[in-house]
Amino acid sequence: MDLMAERNWDSILLYGHGWRKDYFRSLVNVNYSGPYAAAHLTRSGDLTAFVSDPWDRELIPGAADFTVTLPKASAIAGLELMEARLVHGVPVSATADIEELRRIKTPDEIECLKQAASLADRGYQHFVDVAHVGMKEYELVAEVEGFLKSNGAEDNFMLIASGGTEVVGMKPPTARALQSGDSITTELTPCINGYYAQICRTLVLGDPSPGQQEAFSIFSEAQQAAQDLIKPGIKASDAARAQNDVFRKYGYGDYTGSKYTRVRGHCLGLFPDETPHILEDVDYVIKENMVLIAHPNTYLPLSGYMVFGDSMLVTVTGNVRLNTTEKKLFVKDAA
Amino acid sequence: MKRGLIAWDRTQLPPAVFEKRLARVRAALDERHLPVLLVYSDVWRSNQARFLTNFMPYWNRSLALIPADAPPVLLCALSPRVYPWIKSVTIFEDIRPASKLMQTVDQLCAERGWSRLGVLDLPRLPMEIHTGLRGREIVDVPSLGITDPDDPEFAMRRRAVLLARKALEDHLQSAIETGSVEIGQFERQLRRLGAEDLVIRVRSRGSGAYSISVALEYCGHWVKVVRPYGPADEVVVLERRFHAALASGDGYRENLAGPQPYEAGTGAIYALHVEHQGLFFGDTCAGSQPL
Repeated sequence: MDLMAERNWDSILLYGHGWRKDYFRSLVNVNYSGPYAAAHLTRSGDLTAFVSDPWDRELIPGAADFTVTLPKASAIAGLELMEARLVHGVPVSATADIEELRRIKTPDEIECLKQAASLADRGYQHFVDVAHVGMKEYELVAEVEGFLKSNGAEDNFMLIASGGTEVVGMKPPTARALQSGDSITTELTPCINGYYAQICRTLVLGDPSPGQQEAFSIFSEAQQAAQDLIKPGIKASDAARAQNDVFRKYGYGDYTGSKYTRVRGHCLGLFPDETPHILEDVDYVIKENMVLIAHPNTYLPLSGYMVFGDSMLVTVTGNVRLNTTEKKLFVKDAA
Repeated sequence: MKRGLIAWDRTQLPPAVFEKRLARVRAALDERHLPVLLVYSDVWRSNQARFLTNFMPYWNRSLALIPADAPPVLLCALSPRVYPWIKSVTIFEDIRPASKLMQTVDQLCAERGWSRLGVLDLPRLPMEIHTGLRGREIVDVPSLGITDPDDPEFAMRRRAVLLARKALEDHLQSAIETGSVEIGQFERQLRRLGAEDLVIRVRSRGSGAYSISVALEYCGHWVKVVRPYGPADEVVVLERRFHAALASGDGYRENLAGPQPYEAGTGAIYALHVEHQGLFFGDTCAGSQPL
């Protein structure tokens, strides 16, 4: 309401579809399952939810039918994603403003993120427990997905890769069978009550090679550099540079660019890849009660693609790690 | 995001299938004197791009450009590090990085000398892309007649629906035997069978009666099945109602050609659901028969 007054908006619409539920859920935190949803809020405080699936109407008593014409709104959060046919008038985009509001988490949101981080820890332990030589990548993901859903996850964002120095990135699982000596990397991001927390770890099946061990020591030092630095007032670029400088120190600075990696971390919340991204050209100032992950995930010729990172809550003086999984290169007997 | 197996079995879906589908696009372009068709896709809305190119984005968004006289080009915000994998599961040979999609479209238009662009279902483009096209000569090309299902499409959807029905019925039997619904284990089972993506929902009526809805994607082909667990006489009524609704055109229908989850509506392949006293029965259908 303060934002609407400040911007002189008479009303705001928060739009969601099957991929991006986050704008809608930031105001009406219901896990709708139809193709569309929207929440319309007026300056006088009247809130109307619109949903598109009959089963969703039971989740939000009084919700209107999305298939009727949506009301005009002064501003729309998620406007850029909205199908052109659904937009009436010439609303302004409220996307950036709402994303900024969402970055600072409330105590209830932090509690959800802590629960999600705890589930990520347990999910990763399950990942390690069930992985074995001969198992296909997609079978491993199926086991983890089943575990997460059985333990309360609404959703999950997960990438995986397996193999050696030929692996340059992560993707959805393939039918490749795990082999002795593989690095198995994953970003595991379960969602609890709409909020995603992430863990990144690398598991080696069998004895790790000297290259894998050396690579992990670099990743560990880089992630720790970010963890030691992150506090209110530093910039996202500082957190990225702290990680990249470790790679530069060991002669691997070439592997910190977009050819080999994407980001050195990102914010977490109602979307698993929230902005700002942790990159050397992002000067966003980090604030108390933001939740983010610092992960120096990249390719190195020593090991192939490797990942390592934890979710962190920014506190008044620094940060606290939300994951409790041991910070190590995981190793499992290949026999 | 999609986290299941994304695979292209060329014995199930030979490359020649896509040649025929691209020929439909080229006929539509020829009819409208257009040099290229732009097809938008993202992780939620992948049916059209998948039908034409077998591209099923697991995350993010992309534009497929299908020229009238050259192989298709994929403009993609995903990292070039995954291009070899994309090439292994699609017909694309030419993939270009495009973190700024419209800027890359402009570059390609300049490179190829395209002054007019056809856009598949223009009004359904996301505003960011729709607005980005302003100032160019754009022609809406409706998908009707271009992405209508062909025999291979029906065959793939039939494979998918058989998988969904069998798994759901097995799971219901197991739930009856154990007295509980374990959605996590059901998801695990379906993903181990090769489901690429899944949406499982349970709607309880109370007193141990419930309905389970499974939307399942197999090699890019979405289907939906709903089965009830409750008193046998009510289940019989539901099944009768379902078949009556098939014949009469009643019941709640969803168009499976669009983005998943689906909009209300009909299409050549659709999901039909009926309700009786808080329990549901539904299936994927074509014409007046379950697929």
